[in-house]
Amino acid sequence: MLNYIIRRLLLMIPTIIGITLLVFLVMAMSPGGLTAGIRGQEGNMRPDQRKKIEEYYKKRYGLDQPLYRQYLRWLNHVLPFGAKEAGEGFPRKWPVGLKSPDLGESLMRHRPVIDVVAEALPVTILLNLITVPVIYAISITAGIYAARRRGNSFDVAWGTTSLALWSIPTMWAGVMFLGLFANRDVINIFPASGLHDTLAEQMRFLPSWPGGVFARGWLLDFAWHLTLPIICLTYGGFAFMSKLMRASVLENLSADFARTARAKGLTDRAVLFRHVLSNSVLPLITVAAGILPGLLGGSLIVESIFSINGMGRLMIDAIFQKDRELVMSEAFVIGIVSLVSLLVADLCYAAADPRVTYE
Amino acid sequence: MSNFAATPADAGTDVQFPTSNVDVPLPWLAQVWKQSISQRAARFGLAWISVVAFCAIFAPLLANSFPIAIKMNGRWSSPFLHQLTATDVTLPILTLLCGILCFVRRIGFLSKIYTMLIATVIVGSLAFIFIRPPNTPRETYRLLERAGRLQSVVRTPIPYTFDDRLYDQFSADHPHPWAPSHDHWMGTEKFGADITSQMIYACRIAMAIGFISTGISVLIGIVFGGLMGYFVGIVDLLGMRVIEIVGAIPTIYLLLIFVAAFPDYRSIYLIMAIIGLTSWTGDARFVRAEFLKLRNQEFVHAAIAAGLPLRSVLFKHLLPNALAPLLVSASFGIAGAILSESTLSFLGLGIPVGDASWGALLNEAVSAGGGFIWWLATYPGLAIFLTVLSYNFIGEAVRDALDPKLRERS
Amino acid sequence: MPDPLLQISDLNVAFETARGLIRPVRDVSLSIYPGQTVAVVGESGCGKSVTAMSILRLLPSPPSKVLSGSIMFAGRDLVTVPENQMQKIRGKEIAMIFQEPMTSLNPVYSIGDQIAEAVVLHQHVGSREGLRIAEQSLRDVGIADAHRRLREYPHEMSGGMRQRIMIAMALSCKPKLLIADEPTTALDVTIQAQILELLRKVQQQTGMSIMLITHDLGVVAENADVVAVMYASRIVETATVEELFDRPQHPYTQGLFRSIPKFGVTSKRLETIPGTVPNPTKFPPGCKFHTRCDRLNGDPLCSTVEPLLREVSPGHWASCHHAEHFAESPVTVPQLQHKREDYIPLATEVQA
Repeated sequence: MLNYIIRRLLLMIPTIIGITLLVFLVMAMSPGGLTAGIRGQEGNMRPDQRKKIEEYYKKRYGLDQPLYRQYLRWLNHVLPFGAKEAGEGFPRKWPVGLKSPDLGESLMRHRPVIDVVAEALPVTILLNLITVPVIYAISITAGIYAARRRGNSFDVAWGTTSLALWSIPTMWAGVMFLGLFANRDVINIFPASGLHDTLAEQMRFLPSWPGGVFARGWLLDFAWHLTLPIICLTYGGFAFMSKLMRASVLENLSADFARTARAKGLTDRAVLFRHVLSNSVLPLITVAAGILPGLLGGSLIVESIFSINGMGRLMIDAIFQKDRELVMSEAFVIGIVSLVSLLVADLCYAAADPRVTYE
Repeated sequence: MSNFAATPADAGTDVQFPTSNVDVPLPWLAQVWKQSISQRAARFGLAWISVVAFCAIFAPLLANSFPIAIKMNGRWSSPFLHQLTATDVTLPILTLLCGILCFVRRIGFLSKIYTMLIATVIVGSLAFIFIRPPNTPRETYRLLERAGRLQSVVRTPIPYTFDDRLYDQFSADHPHPWAPSHDHWMGTEKFGADITSQMIYACRIAMAIGFISTGISVLIGIVFGGLMGYFVGIVDLLGMRVIEIVGAIPTIYLLLIFVAAFPDYRSIYLIMAIIGLTSWTGDARFVRAEFLKLRNQEFVHAAIAAGLPLRSVLFKHLLPNALAPLLVSASFGIAGAILSESTLSFLGLGIPVGDASWGALLNEAVSAGGGFIWWLATYPGLAIFLTVLSYNFIGEAVRDALDPKLRERS
Repeated sequence: MPDPLLQISDLNVAFETARGLIRPVRDVSLSIYPGQTVAVVGESGCGKSVTAMSILRLLPSPPSKVLSGSIMFAGRDLVTVPENQMQKIRGKEIAMIFQEPMTSLNPVYSIGDQIAEAVVLHQHVGSREGLRIAEQSLRDVGIADAHRRLREYPHEMSGGMRQRIMIAMALSCKPKLLIADEPTTALDVTIQAQILELLRKVQQQTGMSIMLITHDLGVVAENADVVAVMYASRIVETATVEELFDRPQHPYTQGLFRSIPKFGVTSKRLETIPGTVPNPTKFPPGCKFHTRCDRLNGDPLCSTVEPLLREVSPGHWASCHHAEHFAESPVTVPQLQHKREDYIPLATEVQA
């Protein structure tokens, strides 16, 4: 198993390089090339001044060099080994060795990209780490329930609802939630933006009643802020997965091994929960690989609607500000996150199904 | 239907579709289509898409600031005709042609498609070369009518073009957006354009985005996957890496990266191309898998043994069989493309400002100040939802028709 | 003679389907005595599996429904006994093994867990003791290296091995009756013989009864004491195995015997029964076999009145209007007078 993991991790390297190359080429292809982003920023300057500043930036970010050099330079930046101090006129200096990986500097924020990403990435990962169990819990429960009462009103209603839920655009759901439940003019029971109250730092962790007044505390405040975004992120997933679960439970209920289990004298409940369930979740784990990129994409929209400062919002800002370095690093990091989560999904599958071995 | 497998009666009467049928696949496709359409959900989907298509084709007849006919100084004239754009003219002509072709029996299915493609190119380019509507202010005829210069006016049901910003009705103490009223059934947006009209014109973008970007992605998918499945070996290996690379990045991020590469040159065609370029991996995987599976089947060996080149077997005989499943993927693909466009427009990175798009309208529903404009959230959102739902319904129905086992279970 | 262990009387089972009522089991009566092996023979779709499954009430309901009849087992009627008592009978007093060893085991649990599950359930022991008993029953069915096998999963084993495991699972609680639903159909010929040999051995040791469902007359000849032949949802003939093999009365049974190769006879083509099994949604009127029958073709009685089981000789029942007539006829019967040994399949030779 360890061998397999190492092999998969090694295989990721060419894929990641491919991703960055693809992104780099796309950016380089753009009209005006890579310099377009810089050109836009200095608004009212004399032409000679502007030219000078452009020259400076071009030199500083290596934009005056041929494309392949620019790419190698960027690659050198992000790798944990390679030419050190290559920023100035790469590749003239050659002290090669281990170094701390560097995602470059944001062209607009004038901060190291790695700092910006370090703030945003945990937020996005957290959102998805909460979303995935919620999706699975709801879809497994609903799928079992619908399959057991196949053809009854719950089954029919859930079938229709899930198809409808599946088609609701995330942004519409987000906008409607925001407009209906976080609106001073309609119902104002949820916060409209962010993950924490501005005063969250001063709160206690758990709810408390100092002096008889209810204070919700940090945790509850967090959950309160998360409610709407998490609903937006989950409904599509569980709508799709509960259909899958229902079909899978129905299939396994009439499977031969379920009949064997019944013939052993197990109760219907035991057959369902011990034998059918364990087999029915297998396809759900398989599709995890398919829905994870979708989830990351969904969190981009949700972050943008609910003003949550995650990777998605960072990406949108970077594009609006034409911040090439940030876009590249963003693609790089998201690529790694997706590939790692796909690997985790595959490992989960191997853990759940003894027939699958990765040797 | 009974789900009890052991019942002997079931064995003989199950409808079994041939999964790999080398001969004429079209009757089979027709059968699948007929079966899909027999489902209520699919019929609903088709009905809604017909409504959207109707709005898209006849948009200028449904919503136009220019009256269909006026009587001015005792003479009848039609400002509407003078103001038609190239698109306005091309779409109905092509629809008419399509309708005629459907009734012509003597031409084969493929020739019909070729005819349509050629006609599209010819009519489209002619229209774009010769039709240049004058840039008349949209409020002209309202002002004329108010001034009493028109003896009679025949208007379209919604008397506003999508880009008519009601400059004549501007008032500082009643700023846009206006809530729905008798004059503006769905209200107005922040610049003053009528939303009903915008919704109608946005159908064009929805239809075009759906079909063209899915067309692009399916085409790339077939060619890419086909080449991989045909050549196998190193081509297949490299191709799979490319698919993995494109597939590893969430689609929306990929879209944003492409959009970011063209910050100032956005147009509807670019968006279509970008959506097509980012969503082909699924189709390519499918075609490849199908080719690899079929290559090793006995009837293919038999065909090759009989002297048919592998190329002809794969592309002429096997590809048509993969078409029906591709239809399913295309149906979901259209839904996805519409979602992608709406999402991009919603994020402010889609079609250029000023064009009508459901996503862009939805974007305005929550203003920067936190105000919620319900009519801007409800109607465009509902339109996107219904359209996506319709294509999903159709996709599901076709898939169920293709897979009888699945249908039995549900 | 002692009381029967299991007595099925006039059992009628129906499936409610969109195309109407299907009756896969009609008026079936059958007794199984302790220590006895009763074979139920017939083509696929004749209702033999449904009969077996209704004993343990394993048919999904809906669509299945017992219309009438009773299944008496140890003083209780299995048709009406409440579900919680039925669960105590299943696996503990009546166990069942199935035709498809490849799919009848749960792929995600180890062999040990699956066998111990029934043991823990019925014998009220801890899981460790359950595993020990499971190991013992694996040894009983002749699995070498039982301790290691406990931890293995079904996909790591061959079909014959899995069927052994199914048998071990069925026998782990020492049931009084084992229902074996085509236990060897999906297996290789050599493995078939081993599995049947195993069943015989276990029966000798434990004295349990076996209801053996099969379409293989060779299997019947070797294993059964009593045979019931089913055709179109009904038992058409039942007798002891010697009686049936020596003097088959029903034309269907006779047809079956003519259609198997005989040991040492290198004659012309094998005979077949013309026609096909009638579709249960539209059975022909009268005798269900009359459309394929070669006796007295065109007798209006056959095509209008369905014959009932009648005792043609002591303990030998057949449902044919013309049974006695042909039983006495020297023309049909003599060519069928073979010894049981003639039907032993070649496999036993291979094994020996």
